[in-house]
Amino acid sequence: MRKYSDLEYLKLPKHKRLLYKIAVFFTSIPTKIKNFGLKVYNYIKKIVLGIKDFFVNIVMTFIKGDYKTKISYVIMGFGNITRGQIIRGVFFFVFEAIFIFYMITTGGKWLSLLPSLGLQGPEEVYDETLDTFVTVYHDNSFKILLYGVLTLFFVIAFIYTWYINIKQNRIAEQILATGKKIKSDKDDLHSMVDDQFHKTLLALPITGIVIFTVFPMVFMILVAFTNYSAEFNGFSKLFTWVGWENFNKLFTFGTGVNSLSATFGEVLTWTLIWAFFATFSNYFLGMLVAIMINKKGIRFKKLWRTVLVMTIAIPQFISLLYVSKMFSKSGLVNGMLQSLGWIDTAIPFWENKTLARVMVIVINIWIGIPYLMLIASGILMNIPQDLYESAKIDGANAFKQYTKITLPYMLFVTGPYLLTSFISNMNNFNVIYLLTTGNPTNPNATSSAGSVGFTDLLVTWLFKITTGAESQYYLASVIGIMIFIVVSVISLIVYSLMPSTRNEEDFQ
Amino acid sequence: MKTRFTKALIALLAIGTLAACGNNQTSSETPSGTPSETPEANPLAGTYDVKVWAAEAITELTTTQIAEFEAANPGIVINETVQAVGEGEAATQMVNDVESGADIFCFAQDQFARLVQAGALTKLGQKTAATVSERNDAGSVNAVTSEGNLFAYPLTSDNGYFMYYDKSVVAENHVDSLEDIIADCEAANRLFSFELEGSAWYAASFFFATGCKSEWTADSEGKFTSVYDTFNSANGLVAVKGMQKLVTSKAYNNSSATSEFTAATPSAVVVSGTWDYATAAAALGDNLGVADLPSFTVDGNSYHLGSYAGFKLLGVRPTTDAKRAAVLQQLALYLTDAKCQEQRFDSNAWGPSNKDVQAMDKVKANPALAALQAQSAHSTPQGQIHGSWWDIGKAIATGVKAATSDAELQTVLDTYKAAVDGVLAMPDEVRNAWTVIGAINGTTWNTDFEMTEVETGVWKTKEAYTLTAGTEFKVRQGLSWDKAWPAANFVVEADGTYYIVLTLDAEGNGTVTLEAA
Repeated sequence: MRKYSDLEYLKLPKHKRLLYKIAVFFTSIPTKIKNFGLKVYNYIKKIVLGIKDFFVNIVMTFIKGDYKTKISYVIMGFGNITRGQIIRGVFFFVFEAIFIFYMITTGGKWLSLLPSLGLQGPEEVYDETLDTFVTVYHDNSFKILLYGVLTLFFVIAFIYTWYINIKQNRIAEQILATGKKIKSDKDDLHSMVDDQFHKTLLALPITGIVIFTVFPMVFMILVAFTNYSAEFNGFSKLFTWVGWENFNKLFTFGTGVNSLSATFGEVLTWTLIWAFFATFSNYFLGMLVAIMINKKGIRFKKLWRTVLVMTIAIPQFISLLYVSKMFSKSGLVNGMLQSLGWIDTAIPFWENKTLARVMVIVINIWIGIPYLMLIASGILMNIPQDLYESAKIDGANAFKQYTKITLPYMLFVTGPYLLTSFISNMNNFNVIYLLTTGNPTNPNATSSAGSVGFTDLLVTWLFKITTGAESQYYLASVIGIMIFIVVSVISLIVYSLMPSTRNEEDFQ
Repeated sequence: MKTRFTKALIALLAIGTLAACGNNQTSSETPSGTPSETPEANPLAGTYDVKVWAAEAITELTTTQIAEFEAANPGIVINETVQAVGEGEAATQMVNDVESGADIFCFAQDQFARLVQAGALTKLGQKTAATVSERNDAGSVNAVTSEGNLFAYPLTSDNGYFMYYDKSVVAENHVDSLEDIIADCEAANRLFSFELEGSAWYAASFFFATGCKSEWTADSEGKFTSVYDTFNSANGLVAVKGMQKLVTSKAYNNSSATSEFTAATPSAVVVSGTWDYATAAAALGDNLGVADLPSFTVDGNSYHLGSYAGFKLLGVRPTTDAKRAAVLQQLALYLTDAKCQEQRFDSNAWGPSNKDVQAMDKVKANPALAALQAQSAHSTPQGQIHGSWWDIGKAIATGVKAATSDAELQTVLDTYKAAVDGVLAMPDEVRNAWTVIGAINGTTWNTDFEMTEVETGVWKTKEAYTLTAGTEFKVRQGLSWDKAWPAANFVVEADGTYYIVLTLDAEGNGTVTLEAA
């Protein structure tokens, strides 16, 4: 199809422009797929080449290297020490010593048990003289998984260090061959605060991230592939690997009370509906309140702001629990309406599916507006007033001004905030659990994994699964992974569409 | 876990001093509180660190009672840490992490099977088990028994429910009829609090009234193997019709807290247990009425509401040290014995499970316990029940409230039944297979013996069993009682070694025969 130039495009009538855009979108699909395929291919190629280089380097360095390098393959740091880099050499050597010691004493055991997650559970022994039962513990699957994975991390770290050790030998040889001097200990220490300063700074944070973020995440993901639950808790009864079975369970499509996939679909749908309404209702109403307070001629501006901010001052869980009580069947609201004679029968705020869903969104507005008002006030005051003045001169009414100046400006600045608040609303445990605990119960979705209510989000359902009768940690882990996938897909799409990332030059 | 991690860190830091961090991996697994020797003759003498989880109401009393235990057992010193942890919470925390849990903890009976399964309870020694069985009432002993072994100590025998009501609203001659009470509440614009939607424990009341049952069988490891559930039946339909009368009334309120008596729209009736007597009395004063549950009428027949008779129990966490295990066992026994149960009755009005304390006049005179006693004629002992059932059962009332016809009520029961069947999640081959169960081969109706299909419609046991005359058994399908042959138990006529054979006809009716080996 023919591509229009900008001028030609602008000449087209509105509906034709739209048709043109759609046509462009569809004709570009094959190219996009091709580009994506190429990207993936190049990426895989890069990885394969990288692995090849890794092994080639190891072998070639050994063949070409002198005796110092060759010994370094077995005794790490030997080359460094003999070439005068004592500190580096000692570090390598000590690391190797610790690794070997650890693997012999405990690491080897954990690693060897990792594929089976334990062979023998605990047993009870009767002590006749004392008339008591004593438990003798053998393997513990939980510990095996934990320390096994930790040991794996250690092994990977060791292999990487070993490779660096070889690489350094090669580089040292190459430098010495050219007749130059290699870095002395003094140079090394000096470079740590000079050209290698970034490494010094990042060493601690990266270690922290690996230990406190990456490692627990890997552990939790691995749980999804076991049958770790109250029944197989690894303590009284060992758990074991089950492969993809848990994912199959979640994605075996079916209907009825025992279908996990139907329940998952229902909960996910409500989670998305909730996140949408909770985010945008707060956003627009909060902005509206801010605009109203900012309006010229409004008196007691500070008073209004203070009144609204008061809701932030009270801890959320207190106000939520209180509001939940207020709207219950025997609560204040129903009592008042009844005593006024406005209603005869109490309104089932928390017992009716639709009412309960509307209520949580409305109450969330009450909690969320003040935050948005604070953010919006600041941004609104920052919009250059001359924009509005020229708009007024051009004859734009208040609504036009809002859609053409205020809203684009707001969306540009708060785009990332909108995205993060959408995601945090998807995982908004507090509001849902404290107000309704997920009730009213959904009679058609009560699976054996724990009861599910009409206001349950994925995250509150996950909580119920772990604390429920069967404590199916493996299922919770699977759902956790699913939440991650849903959230990351939404974030990536929205993020790439956001004006803040696409047109960075606007409004500057 | 934590200590080992610290050790790993130390190991990393102590570079070069490899010998210093020798292999003492096992030390962190042995519990703290190694007994130190004292000159006393008591073989168990020593100091023990003991962590106790008890309900908030009795934490102080428990501390005093432990001191009394020390006084009664010279040489034994208990360094106790008594923490206020609710009965439901205690079980959940124990299941989640047995190793960091309490040594002695109180829990409600519905958590028993879960705790046994999680390995959080120590089996009682034989002599102690005999003592516990002898001193406590039969129901409570049954509640701590799994496959013939005792795993816990009965603490109370009062975990049931009955009715607290406001005499100024509910007329004295109306307390026997659910319909009259609802009418009284509606007329006075007061609420009827019954936690049907929040808890299967209460919802079961209507089903027990019409004779429905939900009985679960667990094996020695606490794993549930079969269920006999008749909620989805003609009687079950009657039960939900009765329940519908209450849940669709404007007076109905889903709660079991006696604080509802003082809510903005106060309740006139709260169905709850003995633990709420004090707050109910404080709220209503002289107007407080306590009675057994009322009856409801469906199609001209009257059904007295049933209830669960449950128990609070005390459990001991397994340990690896025999001396320590013995001390914990003695302490647990002491805390659940007559003296301590009486103290708990005096201070908190907890209904005793000990037979001697039950016989005391002051216990008999307690109005709440009297109401429980009146209700006991209609109560069902709470056996071992699968944890998921509590979630499944509480959905019934929600469904009943929304239902508008008998057909929809039936759908609620069908959904319930499907969920119950889903809990054991049997593979089809197990669900369709026939097994023999009965007083055979040394078992007492608690073990299923496998059969194989030798030809279409003919099933035969894998092995031959030695059967004596008079032995009874049945052949059932899918480990449930929905299909079982013969209709009455099969009775062996003559001693011998037999294969058991089941022959199914075209309509699915079965005939059981014996085939001499």
